[in-house]
Amino acid sequence: MRVDEDKCIACKRCFPYCPLGRIQVLRRHPKIPGRVYIEIDQDKCTDCGMCFRANVCPVDALYQPAEPWPREVRAILSNPLIEYKGSQVPGRGTEEMKTNDVTGRFLPGEVGIGIELGRPGVATYFRDVEVVAMALAPLGYEMAEENPVTHFMSDRKTGKLRDDILDERATSAIIEGKCKLENLPEVLETIKKAAEKVDTVFSVEIISKVPPKGEIPIIPILERLGYEYSINSKNNMGLGEPVFKFDE
Amino acid sequence: MTHSLHRRGDRESLKEDFVVLGCPATGINKKGSAPKTREFLRICWKHGPVNLGDMKTGNTYNTTIDDILDRVTDGTIVQCTFDSREKVVSLLKELKEKKPGISVIVSGVTDIVQGIMDEAGLGRIHTIEYSMGTWGKTERMPDFAVLKITTMCGHAMIANDLVGKLLRDIKRGRTTPEEASHEIAKCCTCGNFNLTRGTQLLREMLPLYMVNRY
Repeated sequence: MRVDEDKCIACKRCFPYCPLGRIQVLRRHPKIPGRVYIEIDQDKCTDCGMCFRANVCPVDALYQPAEPWPREVRAILSNPLIEYKGSQVPGRGTEEMKTNDVTGRFLPGEVGIGIELGRPGVATYFRDVEVVAMALAPLGYEMAEENPVTHFMSDRKTGKLRDDILDERATSAIIEGKCKLENLPEVLETIKKAAEKVDTVFSVEIISKVPPKGEIPIIPILERLGYEYSINSKNNMGLGEPVFKFDE
Repeated sequence: MTHSLHRRGDRESLKEDFVVLGCPATGINKKGSAPKTREFLRICWKHGPVNLGDMKTGNTYNTTIDDILDRVTDGTIVQCTFDSREKVVSLLKELKEKKPGISVIVSGVTDIVQGIMDEAGLGRIHTIEYSMGTWGKTERMPDFAVLKITTMCGHAMIANDLVGKLLRDIKRGRTTPEEASHEIAKCCTCGNFNLTRGTQLLREMLPLYMVNRY
């Protein structure tokens, strides 16, 4: 996101709408005496477009130019209005468990695990995304094919991202995939170690097909290993059609 | 895409907070899904959501329900936010009867959602997704009270500073908690922001926060 220095009057009305906090500085206009304008730190800005959409600028000084690659990746993962064509889903991730009733993406004995770096509201550089992706890759963690981060990998076997995006930044970026239930403890332990190496936060999510009867299989594992999980959850109602026939 | 999952708060704060999503599946029922999604939205609208939207079009606080319905295409994912258990029960009963054909997802406190499904005759949850919280440099996150509001937008479009600014505006008599909640809802284009909960949280924060920025 950029500011037209000839229009901006530095009223600061856009400041509180920036999800990343104070990433703006005030500058003296080089040609208009006494005029001060706002400059957005282009390294920190993720081009999410929130300040523009807030429609609070009284002089229409905010604008989003078409950014070339690799900067283009910022808006792809940060602006919710932009759909990444590779995933065919608006937003930063995939359909994941939302359509599991018809896709059978997560079968009994499999666990979906998502790691959303930068969330909530801290943002992430892709070099940190790579740290987590490369830690998971050797563990039999199968990256979701249609996920944008998977598309940005130069080597999906190692989780290595393209070098040209490593210094780019996004409001958040999700690594999505699945592993076998028996690999869950090792995967979680690896994510825990990766958390110490990244310079941001990440939110972790875990998906399981619920059996018709009995305990949800991930629960005893999480409880035995001492991991906390939320009281609230996202729940597929099983109303989609045609119904996927699970072997259970 | 897990933008209704990581909402923060205790049981008391989350017990009347539900996001209902309608989602077609790529490669299976996405082609030709627009009429089904529109029907799903119309049914949801009848049951009185506090917010409703489509990520690419906006929500009922920055556009109209007719505009949202008109701009539904094959593959559109829609969200409706409810502030009452009873409304979700009646909604799911109707969805069970009319079968929208697309996948339906409900985010909320797990045992409450299961109770709703039992009451609506839907049986057990099909597939579940839990949040395992936030890991890493958690000291960079804002105060938990602010997070309870900002995490209602999973795309992180509700700025921490906006919450602070609006609290100050309320304290100065420039706006009300209801109007402030309305302003926050406009930032979350998907329609996931629960205005009833947002207003209540702002009220709870008012006596606790000294705001000195902006």
